[in-house]
Amino acid sequence: MATGTLYTYPENFRAYKALIAAQYSGAQVKVAENFVFGETNKSAEFLKKFPSGKVPAFETAEGKYLSESNAIAFYVANEQLRGGKCPLAQAEVLQWLSYADNEIVPASCSWVFPLLGIMPQQKNSTAKQDATAILSVLNNKLLNSTFLVGERITLADIVVFSSLLHLYQYVLEPKVRAEFGNVNRWFVTILNQPQVKAVVKNYTLCETALVFDPKKYAEFIGKTGGASDKKQQAKAKEEKKPKEEKKKEEKPKEELDAAEEALLAEPKSKDPFDAMPKGTFNFDDFKRSYSNEDESVSIPYFWQKFDPENYSIWFGEYKYNDELSKVFMSCNLITGMFQRLDKMRKQAFASVCLFGEDNNSTISGVWVWRGQDLAFTLSPDWQIDYDCYSWKKLDASSEETKKLVQQYFSWTGTDKDGRKFNQGKIFK
Amino acid sequence: MCEVETITKIAKTLGVPAGEVKLNSEKIITRTNNNNTVSGFATILNVLAQESKSEIARNSTATREIAADVYQWIEFAVLYVAPGSKDKHISHQLLRDFNKLFATKSYLVGYFITLADLAIFYAIYNLVKSLSPVEKENYLNLSRWFDHLQQRPEIRQGGQVLNFTTIYLHGWAKGTHV
Repeated sequence: MATGTLYTYPENFRAYKALIAAQYSGAQVKVAENFVFGETNKSAEFLKKFPSGKVPAFETAEGKYLSESNAIAFYVANEQLRGGKCPLAQAEVLQWLSYADNEIVPASCSWVFPLLGIMPQQKNSTAKQDATAILSVLNNKLLNSTFLVGERITLADIVVFSSLLHLYQYVLEPKVRAEFGNVNRWFVTILNQPQVKAVVKNYTLCETALVFDPKKYAEFIGKTGGASDKKQQAKAKEEKKPKEEKKKEEKPKEELDAAEEALLAEPKSKDPFDAMPKGTFNFDDFKRSYSNEDESVSIPYFWQKFDPENYSIWFGEYKYNDELSKVFMSCNLITGMFQRLDKMRKQAFASVCLFGEDNNSTISGVWVWRGQDLAFTLSPDWQIDYDCYSWKKLDASSEETKKLVQQYFSWTGTDKDGRKFNQGKIFK
Repeated sequence: MCEVETITKIAKTLGVPAGEVKLNSEKIITRTNNNNTVSGFATILNVLAQESKSEIARNSTATREIAADVYQWIEFAVLYVAPGSKDKHISHQLLRDFNKLFATKSYLVGYFITLADLAIFYAIYNLVKSLSPVEKENYLNLSRWFDHLQQRPEIRQGGQVLNFTTIYLHGWAKGTHV
């Protein structure tokens, strides 16, 4: 009988497949303790065993290695779960495994993950329609059969069930799932099998569907960017050197995946700022001055060239300062926002600063952009983060504004409660 | 299917000796095994479940609530379903009710096969057998449950496999499946 160690983070629906299968077969599957996602599976030792670095991953007692959740579940299962003796039933099990991976998981992830805040919201996503189509297929199938293959529970049920867990937990609220009665019946039957209950604990069916919350995603980016903290800090130092900046901008292009390429292939959307008069202020000239010269030169240059008729200065304060913990996480929050506002760069400039230290810090910044109104409303792409800030338009002619600009552009001073300047990020 | 036959079949399913099963002088069903005599349909099934080590017996007595639920279905099967299934009007009402029930449930009690399923299964076996394919089309949920049970060799016990493949026309007339 299969014995070994499973590497996974907690409540991983892919790991559930193997854990449930083991409950049926009696295989001794131990979940590795002290597993830290993003660390353990990136360590040299782990990568030597599992070159893909993906979890779940399985190490047998004999020192053999398996990755990919379906393969692991297949290995720890018993003959009954694999479809019995009949090759056709075995093939049917495989058919549902492929269906789960190729159809259900992509649709489920692209519907649920943005709502959980671990993926950005996709425009024109067909995830919902895809999931509905999948549920209809399953609903027709399960009208005439109690389980997916044969008359007993197999890996097909376990894998399809595991792949549907997120949908049933987060988005299929009662009135949405009502039309898939047969799937509901089957799902609840599987969920309540003792072998399944032993693995999937504290699970409840969705009462009200999650809705998209931009703040969640911004926070997630702040947290997960943490590992590359040093890189980020190095970047901050380099940010004043335009040449370095250029190099960095070119690099990501090589890593574009198919989806992004498709996006790029679409006709370029118009710059939302085009509707506004161009004025006399030239952002490029100012940014060049700011990057290459001392603030004692570039700030007076800013005031000399600034065109208050067509451009405006804003003060943005983060609304949830008391939730900020680690400084590097807060910095990632800022740089993440800058990245999402990429298309604004040409017509905007900002210096956003973090004051204070770990667990006692605030974020605020001075922004300049073309036009007199809040720029973020111009494009849906820019509305992910701005809700988390309170925005105040500054009077360009007042002395106070001059002071604020001086302070934020030169990265000095304190916030209004006296916390010292810690780090600054420039949007340009 | 008469009570005696049903008891014998269920005993076989559970893997326990049926003993001597007959109607006593008062026409009450009794079972005698190892000089131990019990009477009454539900009581006999209860004793069979206690003797059996099978999964079905274990699932039927998993908790007191389940055991009580199962008992209720057994009483219903013997007092109402078995006689009712022989009546033309009541039988169709029964089928409609069960069909509605199985729209949301895989099994009668809990989430696995119990004695309740067996009792109802044998009680309506002849009724389901008498249905034409077109009639079965009206009870798709019930058909699914029935077919699921009859596919188990220990439940079918060498009996004829009833045909639940939907009629050939189905491919052209999907409208019947709602």
